[in-house]
Amino acid sequence: MIGLFEEFLSSYGNVVDLCLLNILLAYGVWLALSGNMFTLGTGGFMALGAYSSVFFTTQTGMPFSFAVLIGGLLAGGAALIIGLPVLRLRGDYFMLATFAFTEVVRVIALNWESVTGGAIGIVGIPRYTETWQLALLAIAAVYFAYALRHSHFGRSIAAIRQDDVMSQTMGINVLAHRLTLFGASAFVCGIAGAMAAHLNFFIGPTDFGLLRSVDALSYPILGGFNALLGPLVGAIFTTLLPEFLRFSNQWREILMGLLVILVVLYLPGGAMSLLQSDRLARIFRRRLIERHSIEQRAES
Amino acid sequence: MEVFAQQIVNGLSIGSIYAVFAIGCTLIFGVLNIINLAQGAFLMIGACVGLEAARFGLPLPVTLLVAAFGGGLLGVLSEQFMFRPLRKAGGHRWMGLVASLALARLLVGVAQEIFGTEVQAYPRSSMSAIIWQIGGVRIQALQLFIIAAAVVLMLLFAFILQRTSLGRAIRTVAFSEDVARIVGVRVESATLVTFFIAGALAGAAGLLLGVLFNVVSPFMGDSALVKGLTVMILGGLGNIPGAVAGGFLLGLLEVFSVAYVSSAFRDAIGFGLIFLILLVKPTGLFSGFEERRA
Amino acid sequence: MRSTLATILLAASGLFMGTIVQAKDVKVGIVQSTSGGSAALYGIMQKNAAELAIAEINASGALGDIKLVGIHQDDAGDRGQTVNIFQRLISQEKVKAIFGPTLTNSAFAADPLAQRAKVPVIASSNTAPGVTAMGDFIFRTCATEPMVFPGVLDYVIKKRAPKTSAQIYGIDDMLMKTAYDVHKKALEKAGIKIVATETFQKGDVDYSAQLTKIKAANPDIVVIGGLAEETANIVRQARQLGIPASTIMLGANAAISTKLHDLAGPAAEGFLVGSGWFIGYDSPKNKAFVEAYRAKYNTNPDTFAAQAYAAVYVFADALKRAGGADDPVKLRDAIAATKDLDTSLGKISFDASREPVLSAKVLELKDGKFVLVSGD
Repeated sequence: MIGLFEEFLSSYGNVVDLCLLNILLAYGVWLALSGNMFTLGTGGFMALGAYSSVFFTTQTGMPFSFAVLIGGLLAGGAALIIGLPVLRLRGDYFMLATFAFTEVVRVIALNWESVTGGAIGIVGIPRYTETWQLALLAIAAVYFAYALRHSHFGRSIAAIRQDDVMSQTMGINVLAHRLTLFGASAFVCGIAGAMAAHLNFFIGPTDFGLLRSVDALSYPILGGFNALLGPLVGAIFTTLLPEFLRFSNQWREILMGLLVILVVLYLPGGAMSLLQSDRLARIFRRRLIERHSIEQRAES
Repeated sequence: MEVFAQQIVNGLSIGSIYAVFAIGCTLIFGVLNIINLAQGAFLMIGACVGLEAARFGLPLPVTLLVAAFGGGLLGVLSEQFMFRPLRKAGGHRWMGLVASLALARLLVGVAQEIFGTEVQAYPRSSMSAIIWQIGGVRIQALQLFIIAAAVVLMLLFAFILQRTSLGRAIRTVAFSEDVARIVGVRVESATLVTFFIAGALAGAAGLLLGVLFNVVSPFMGDSALVKGLTVMILGGLGNIPGAVAGGFLLGLLEVFSVAYVSSAFRDAIGFGLIFLILLVKPTGLFSGFEERRA
Repeated sequence: MRSTLATILLAASGLFMGTIVQAKDVKVGIVQSTSGGSAALYGIMQKNAAELAIAEINASGALGDIKLVGIHQDDAGDRGQTVNIFQRLISQEKVKAIFGPTLTNSAFAADPLAQRAKVPVIASSNTAPGVTAMGDFIFRTCATEPMVFPGVLDYVIKKRAPKTSAQIYGIDDMLMKTAYDVHKKALEKAGIKIVATETFQKGDVDYSAQLTKIKAANPDIVVIGGLAEETANIVRQARQLGIPASTIMLGANAAISTKLHDLAGPAAEGFLVGSGWFIGYDSPKNKAFVEAYRAKYNTNPDTFAAQAYAAVYVFADALKRAGGADDPVKLRDAIAATKDLDTSLGKISFDASREPVLSAKVLELKDGKFVLVSGD
């Protein structure tokens, strides 16, 4: 039995690693989404975590765990700094500002050769990331999300997500809550970046661009960001999809696009809404959405 | 001075294409409050379809129409079969972003199947051979054609929006869908037309880009999309005159950051500026002189 | 529970991966990007060429009763997927060699797996430095920039004695950044002053701002670090902006492609480039290759295709000398011992660090065709 498992891992170990890594990332992004922040900063935060942790492990000989932690803290710190001004922006403006952030980080990485190696990247990074570490982090992320949803802080966030003006008048410090969430989200993304950097021997600026940010966003959204396990399901689905469609060769991109569109159209609440057939919940959700769209209109 | 003038010409030609493309992106946002991330793919399809038409021997202005029609048709289809059902199903607007990206991916795959992966050139037109030299500044006839075509497209668009009943309908929907319904505007067809126009502008921009720079490939849409988003921010989301000004501004900005700072930091300068604009004046640089949307 | 899950997954994957194998079949992996942006431009060509070579070798019966079975997998230019594929090809399909991957980034992530499993990798488009240094099972058939550029520069120096030069390169492309470093070093060594250095990024179409700046610096030569499509556009726009024909344009190895003339037109006349291969290379092997490729795929092969084609022939030759693929070390040694094998690239050998030894060719674009001006 163990032998079979080992055989599976030797063929699919990296797929498992990527799934776990993306689950971590999915919950990182989910944190931001739960505060109504559609962030495209993921790539930038991952880059901060990745480059700084690699710098510390290879240049200063710092233990891996410390380097990862510092990578996460650095990304979180950056989020707090840019968050203060950026969080005043609403909806799509926020999204575009975080997008600009990711691009600026990428261009800096391209030009700061002494630390990042420019376009050539950093080669021969020791492989410190182990599957069990990723699994532990992923479990921690799910647990953290669970705890958050059931905490006082989590309820405040839910209130903000529904109506931030009302929340403010009810005495919730909206900016502080969102800033905390944004920082936490960046922290998790930074850690994911650091883990990713020590997984495959190599990092380069192209790893952390717009594409990365968008992919990361699609995990919780496709899975369903209202459900606890939504980000997990979305991350696994999106990571496995290209592997399962590999037989289709050239048609793969087409099939992948089509499948995602179908999921969006038929499960507009995300894949997890399959499991929530409760009518009441559905009606409640629809009402939320209506409220939300009115809010959006009012914003614009 | 010569170099400065040449850089102005360089910036205006690319800027005019940015402007045409960005108008489409910002129009959809202004009317439906959606950012359609498939606009880049519409641009690419427009360029590919236009190229086929050109190979067929059609003259340049006709291929422009073909490309615009191709892009517009895709716009209509995407609204009819994707955005509208999604709105009806009560999907969160984030779902729309994810779906439009998936659509872009799908279209790139389809284009690869039909047109091949390689970068292709337009049949050499006689216009690219004509180059005027004024002092040390060189201007191609083709560049003038591109700028002129862009301006005509923009004027045509402004006319439709401001002077026709169709335009009035679109503007009413942009103001409020509910109000539009009350005053008897057929909202469904107005949104379809909006998507057609936006797609057509993207398709036309694709052809102009392809003709001027010889770069038709399935992957040309990605970087165009980034430019389109950038212009949208510069001009203010949903602000059409802002998109026009923003397009030319981005063209000039890119050129002059290469000319007077460094090409290595061109994009950092552009995005840094966007970041600043968002922080200082999130409604865009040009919100002062045109308050009304769409 | 775990094991059942594993069984199910294994079974499911078997559905997609399963290939019927006979006793004497030797499975080889072809890991090339056929989707996923610009990587596909080079991946498809290489995949086609490798599959062509395998078909030819099998049909010729040169390997006796051994049959090569190529398993192509698309990594979409995404490094994570490259590693997934390498793992599966090695542990599950038990391939005896891997051709690829398309991108050097992917090679740095995936090749160590093959090295650990003692599966030879023969790359045909990973030209960055340090690829073969990853281990003694990693080979490549692609001419690298340091192999070809000095020859081009020598030729220009002899012909024109340039004093000044400008450089323009793709700053976000690993291949081009590498080429730029090589070019810069060679120019400095030759005492040619670099009067302007400009960059561009992937997806750029308008180079006029950079070229206007270069024109103002008025260099004797312009060295371009770009892929074929980019280089073609740069050359074309440079001439349109009035950079005179007396300013010679030099390109990187990757610019060798019939696309150059297709896209740049007459502006590309006089363009100089160094390479291990070009389409008009006058050797029976190459002529046969170009003809077969055209017949099968209805388009012209590029330099990466030729290198992928040669890679398969190198492997087949080694396989024959090693007497089969059962002993990976013996097979590796046989590849390493490749000596003056006649391929589409001309005679190829490997040096001690598994880099190809090829005759570097200096080519000039004349009347729309690359012609040999130096080298053999």
